[in-house]
Amino acid sequence: MNIVVLVKQVPDTETKIKIGADGKSIETSEIKWVMNPYDEYAVEAALRLQDSVGASVTILSMGPERTVESIRTALAMGADTGVLVDDPATEGSDGLGKAKVLAAALKSLEFDLVFCGHRAVDSDENQVGIMVAELAGIPHLGLAVSAEVTDGKVKVQRPIEGAKVTMEAILPALVTFGGAHAVWNPRYASLPGIMKAKKKPLETKTLADLGLSADEVGAQAAKVSVTAMEMPQERQPGRKLEGDTVEKAKELTRLLHEEAKVI
Amino acid sequence: MQPGYFPANVLFILIFVAANAFFLFTAYKLYRILRLGKPEDRFDRTSERIKSVVTFVLGQRRVIREPAGWGHFFIFWGFVIITIGSIETFGVGIYHGFAYWKFLGKGLTNVLYLLQDLFCTAVVVALCVALYRRFVVKPERLRYEDQKATNQDACIIIGLILVLILLLFGARAAEYLLAQGEANRYFPRLAFVSVAFSRLFAGLTKEGLQAWYSICWWGHTVVILGFLIYIPFSKHLHLLGAIPNVFFRRLGSVGELSKMDLEDETAETYGISTIEEFTWKQLLDLYACTECGRCSDNCPATLTGKPLSPKLTIHHLKEHLQAKGKMLLAQQGAAEAASVNPEGELVKALIGDICQHDELWSCTTCGNCMEHCPVFIEHVDKYVDMRRYLVLMESNFSPEVQNVMRNWETNSNPWGLGFATRGDWAEGLPVKTLAEDSQVEYLYYVGCAGSFDERAKKISSALVTLLNEAGVSFGILGAEEKCCGETARRLGNEYLFQSMATELVEIINSYGVKKIITACPHGYNSLKNEYPQFGAKWEVYHHSEFLATLLRDGQLQPQQTMNKNLVFHDSCYLGRYNDLYEEPRTLLKSIRGLKLSEMERSRNKSFCCGAGGGRMWMEETLGDQKINDARTDQALKLEPDIIGVCCPFCTTMFEDGLKTCDMDEEVKVYDIAEILAETVTSEKE
Ligand code: SF4
Ligand code: SF4
Repeated sequence: MNIVVLVKQVPDTETKIKIGADGKSIETSEIKWVMNPYDEYAVEAALRLQDSVGASVTILSMGPERTVESIRTALAMGADTGVLVDDPATEGSDGLGKAKVLAAALKSLEFDLVFCGHRAVDSDENQVGIMVAELAGIPHLGLAVSAEVTDGKVKVQRPIEGAKVTMEAILPALVTFGGAHAVWNPRYASLPGIMKAKKKPLETKTLADLGLSADEVGAQAAKVSVTAMEMPQERQPGRKLEGDTVEKAKELTRLLHEEAKVI
Repeated sequence: MQPGYFPANVLFILIFVAANAFFLFTAYKLYRILRLGKPEDRFDRTSERIKSVVTFVLGQRRVIREPAGWGHFFIFWGFVIITIGSIETFGVGIYHGFAYWKFLGKGLTNVLYLLQDLFCTAVVVALCVALYRRFVVKPERLRYEDQKATNQDACIIIGLILVLILLLFGARAAEYLLAQGEANRYFPRLAFVSVAFSRLFAGLTKEGLQAWYSICWWGHTVVILGFLIYIPFSKHLHLLGAIPNVFFRRLGSVGELSKMDLEDETAETYGISTIEEFTWKQLLDLYACTECGRCSDNCPATLTGKPLSPKLTIHHLKEHLQAKGKMLLAQQGAAEAASVNPEGELVKALIGDICQHDELWSCTTCGNCMEHCPVFIEHVDKYVDMRRYLVLMESNFSPEVQNVMRNWETNSNPWGLGFATRGDWAEGLPVKTLAEDSQVEYLYYVGCAGSFDERAKKISSALVTLLNEAGVSFGILGAEEKCCGETARRLGNEYLFQSMATELVEIINSYGVKKIITACPHGYNSLKNEYPQFGAKWEVYHHSEFLATLLRDGQLQPQQTMNKNLVFHDSCYLGRYNDLYEEPRTLLKSIRGLKLSEMERSRNKSFCCGAGGGRMWMEETLGDQKINDARTDQALKLEPDIIGVCCPFCTTMFEDGLKTCDMDEEVKVYDIAEILAETVTSEKE
């Protein structure tokens, strides 16, 4: 069985984000790049199937050269091969553009399952996975927190308000993963894993290799674009009220009334 | 069977040779088991090594640190003196006319016999005390799971020595009487105990005396030889292991971890998961253990009920080594291979069966065990070597640890806060980064806590105040600084540590830094003692020693009085690891009004705050008390106003401890830099 995991490289959540000069993008010079956490859960889910039913796992990603680092991380965790679509013409793609590239790359790969995070923590659009499923003409199961394969079907669980639903789809299918770090506890690469990852096959492709032309993707083809970005307002530091309980209560009411104007 | 006459002498020689051959055979087997271990170079600095044998074996310096150790002192020296006497005894066994006085002269022989009598008496007293301790006092440290076997072993040994000495006195007493009035016999009269014993035989005929002499002589001799055979099978194996172990002890910094070769492409495994992967020196440690229990008596983990006792770790490893070693040797000799039982010891897992996971992860690497081990056993690197296996090979560790490792990887600090904000603590403070001015004399290496932890940031700014006050030319790396990786290393992640260390060395060297000051004992120990493994050549100062120098030279002068009672806590990595006990105290004593009190466990006995060895980042759920709570209780006994510390992690641990017992309003925790900064008022102000 072959599983392709779609992986996106995103800024680490603790990175100090600065808005770029154009006001629509972020400054990328001081960013620490990591694998999108939800994609990491997808990698973990695929590797669990590798352990249990012996699946072969391919990592597929698009982005500039630095993206190789995230693919290697997944290879060190245990994935078998990697494919990176690295073409400057893809820059500025919207969700659909990215989905087109990934779906085109999928065509050249053998797969029974496609896994990915339900969203990427940078632009938070929740789109690419679903669009890839559509473009590839395969069913999609969303927000899974587990995945099992039996008799040509994939069965997943998804938490819903106060309960869990179990769903299944006939292979080939695409599953997007939700949950949290504590749910998945993605494995930590062992040293032999890291060593081996350096020698695992990692192929780089351009749009031409995928049979796509530059005007189908990238900024010109984008139907959705970011028009402005702004930083959230700086939070005021908390204030500690002094005095005994009565004084504190009085001061609090005064502040709520006069400053916060909520009472 | 009069000793020394035919055929008794032939019989004696046979027994003597057989016993020695048996002993040598066993010893050789033990040696071969040691050789199963991996190589390690401990053959440097020979003269220092010889000196340490003189001090610690002959002088028993560490043994006599405790009152009970004096008993051992006398037993040890009694043993040496008896052995000198035994040569004469054995000589007599071969030829009845053999006697020391014929070679040494009567004067010297008198002295020798007197010494023998004195030491033998002292040994008897010491053994009685030992029996009293073991069976009446029953100190915790002499406890083992297989208590019966351990006690039995102790009794056999103590019994053998007692019998051996009494028989010696018996033989001597008879000899003394027999020598009376015989021209070619002589007995040194200074041996007054033996002479006193002769009253027992008063009134016996010459034949009677002769018979008693023979009985005692044979008894004494057989017991000695029996002892020789028994040694390697008992805890008295330490008679063989201890001396070489002291000779080969680590002379450099305590607890220094080996640099793993991670470039080696042929390596199949990393860290240690089988006993024979330890180095021969790590295995020799096991032979040297005297089972005295001093390590566990000082271990913060043992004392708070964690499933870790360094004494038992060594004991279990030793038993496993002996059992598995024999089988491995048999496997090597194909002929014997058939007799090897493939079950049993060979299939026992070092980690899991012999040592438990919780045991390995409970160690704070505080070094108290090693500090108090009379035979210099090195416990800590064994725990870390096994952690290395779990981390590097199996990624087998708790989720908290995994989380903190990821944080180091992405942001080079355990909290996982953005690496670009590392220098933000210094905003608005009068301190430059090396990028702004690299011509400064000192680099102040702030470390992760000092950069990111709200509480520790205050220590950093206090230190900046002091350094500026004293006119020291210094700078920081700011956002360019990285974690030193010390904790990752002690958690067993050598790969992560090495990549962090390489990066940090590169950055620091790129500014041509020669001297470094730091307020974190962990960074200090790492940069000073372990970074040379990565090509670092810096002078590294902990702020306690640096500030003490500034005070001595008058560059800093405490002006204010501080009428407070302060309890000082020694950090493990400052005290035991780097011998800095005096410097922080000098600093505190320079402050008028400050009353310095010492806890019972202070200086080299200092009780860890619980944060070391990566424990800072792990939940502490096992045992009956948290280590930091236990230490806080110890400090509170002295009713302090302030708990004085030297380490940002100790600060956190004590503050948490005070919160637990709801004393955080009454008692405050301050770093020595904060205390000093408080009392040093600038002239400008
Ligand atoms: S280093 Fe400290 S915690 Fe670890 S075994 Fe030794 S005494 Fe116990
Ligand atoms: S390791 Fe050292 S301190 Fe601990 S029991 Fe053995 S000899 Fe004593």
